[in-house]
Amino acid sequence: MPPGLAGARAERVLSLGVLALGIVAAALAWQLPEGGGYARIGPNFVPKLVAAGLILLGLWLLVETFTGGWRSRVPDDPGQRGEHAFVPAAFLWVSAGLLAQMALIHTGGFVLAAAALFACVARGFGSRRWARDLAAGLALGLAVFAFFVHFLNVNLPAGWLRALLGAAGT
Amino acid sequence: MSETFGALLSGFAVALTPINLLWGLVGVTLGTAVGVLPGVGPALTVAMLLPLTVKLDPTGALIMFAGIYYGAMYGGSTTTILLNTPGESASIATALEGNRMARRGRAGPALATSAIGSFVAGSIATVLLTLLAPLVVEVALRFGPAEYFSLMVFAFVTVAAVLGSSTVRGLTALFLGLLLGLVGIDEQTGQMRFAFGVPELLDGIDVVVLAVGLFAVGEALYVAAYESRKREAMERISGSLWMTRDDWRRSWPAWLRATAIGFPFGTIPAGGAEIPTFLSYATEKKLSKHPEEFGNGAIEGVAGPEAANNAAATGVLVPLLTLGIPTSATAAILLAAFQNYGIQPGPLLFQTQGALVWGLIASLYVGNVLLLVLNLPLIGLWVKVLAIPRPLLYGGILVFATLGAYSLHQSVVDLATLYVFGLLGFLMRRWGFPVAPAVIGLILGPLAEAQFRRALAISQGDPGVFFTQPISAGLLALTALLIALPWTVRLVRRLRGRRR
Repeated sequence: MPPGLAGARAERVLSLGVLALGIVAAALAWQLPEGGGYARIGPNFVPKLVAAGLILLGLWLLVETFTGGWRSRVPDDPGQRGEHAFVPAAFLWVSAGLLAQMALIHTGGFVLAAAALFACVARGFGSRRWARDLAAGLALGLAVFAFFVHFLNVNLPAGWLRALLGAAGT
Repeated sequence: MSETFGALLSGFAVALTPINLLWGLVGVTLGTAVGVLPGVGPALTVAMLLPLTVKLDPTGALIMFAGIYYGAMYGGSTTTILLNTPGESASIATALEGNRMARRGRAGPALATSAIGSFVAGSIATVLLTLLAPLVVEVALRFGPAEYFSLMVFAFVTVAAVLGSSTVRGLTALFLGLLLGLVGIDEQTGQMRFAFGVPELLDGIDVVVLAVGLFAVGEALYVAAYESRKREAMERISGSLWMTRDDWRRSWPAWLRATAIGFPFGTIPAGGAEIPTFLSYATEKKLSKHPEEFGNGAIEGVAGPEAANNAAATGVLVPLLTLGIPTSATAAILLAAFQNYGIQPGPLLFQTQGALVWGLIASLYVGNVLLLVLNLPLIGLWVKVLAIPRPLLYGGILVFATLGAYSLHQSVVDLATLYVFGLLGFLMRRWGFPVAPAVIGLILGPLAEAQFRRALAISQGDPGVFFTQPISAGLLALTALLIALPWTVRLVRRLRGRRR
């Protein structure tokens, strides 16, 4: 995580996040209709209950940050957890892979999207061998595509490789 | 009793048909192969392999899943012993001793005692499951909506608040899961809730997307950011695979004791195998004639926890099959697998789909044998799987993880949801929120709500129904006691401390 976001400050941000989620859920729950029937409670009752629970838990977490921090907390120092310091590039490469797959899957097709995801994730894990990673990703994507489309009859988009893969995909 | 025996025999008739035997074999092999992958626990293994069964009939699919479930656990032990990276909390005890044994050149006996111990514990636990399930079904048949609701509340509280290191973070994870479980169309009224008009969200958030998001995407983000630059040493298997006479003598009492510890813990909603493995480890350490070896590779310290893990994993199937209540993240995904086939586990399932349930139970016996036969001879293959470089391994895991989410609706929305859950999983892991309560809350929440509203509809809106029926009242009292107990103990201690 960015250096500033550790310790009590991070815990406070997360506590407020839980609280905010509860408040948004409550606002939405209160717009739901009653419609009780025999049970006298409708589709809005349990949502209100869950929202109230989240608000209480958010407050509880927040109170803990002012009274010595969250109880039995995870150490902020990665060394104490047996890990190394946060590597932003690694986090971003894995994220980029997932976003690239979302962007590609309906245009380039499943196989190319899988290859892009695979190569970006491998890069995030410290690999510098783009060619090998792309080739491995392509091979895996093709194998999965063939198995799912021809054996399981699950449609996967063929995309730009339609001519090559046949019209099996959507 | 003889009725049970007859049912089990007909179950074997189902499980031993060539095609179902084949699915069982495919299940244990795939389960072990994926479970061996470092960082892939049983829950993720089952979730990732779920799409593969779309073409099977329900019985075949569930038999395959039973195999995957068991195989994933065997595979996980191998990884733990050779790599010292426990894939799940239940393997931490094994990592303590098993990895030390491997470092001292005794990887073979460690793997053997783990495999044979899992077989012994799994088989005994399956016998206990066979005997216990019909009894629980008897009781459960008398349960009405109020009893079911109270039982689910009990399960929620034990899984979220009593286990884990922090009550408030466990409950927060649970409520996140409950909130996600509300997304979609309300089954009783058709009202749309928290779906923002997004079509992909109308039939709710799939438990597989949440589980894969938290366990695969979240893990990948976390491991990439905090652990990918670390070098890991894999222990080689040198020397004999076989256990010496002394190893046997020290292992078998540990297996039996661990089974006695693990199975009961699995059957109550106590979050699966984590507590019994540690209890078994502590027991063996206390009873051992070689306490000095603990911490340096004592074979009892592998035999016990591994057997306890398997016995508990089988015990978890008791509440899952007879009551429809999952008490671990893996069981929650198994429940989702059932639901995909329109099957709701519970006491009625034993009556309406006897062949399926007993076929599944019989396949557990078969699966245990298959694993014993397969696992040790194939150990060389599993070691090769372990040696896949991390960058390629995680690339592959994410391709399969996203495939599972995408194939639900062929929609990018599910991939985006998956990524959001991945970010959530990253935050939860970094700040110590348990993940299992969220997964259990998502799948059990809607069932609990349905029972809650059904109970109130019967009582014409009188909430007294939960407190006046003896079973329901008893369960709620027990739940309150479980929450209150740690607080009271702390309070009493504080007061006593003051007096002195």
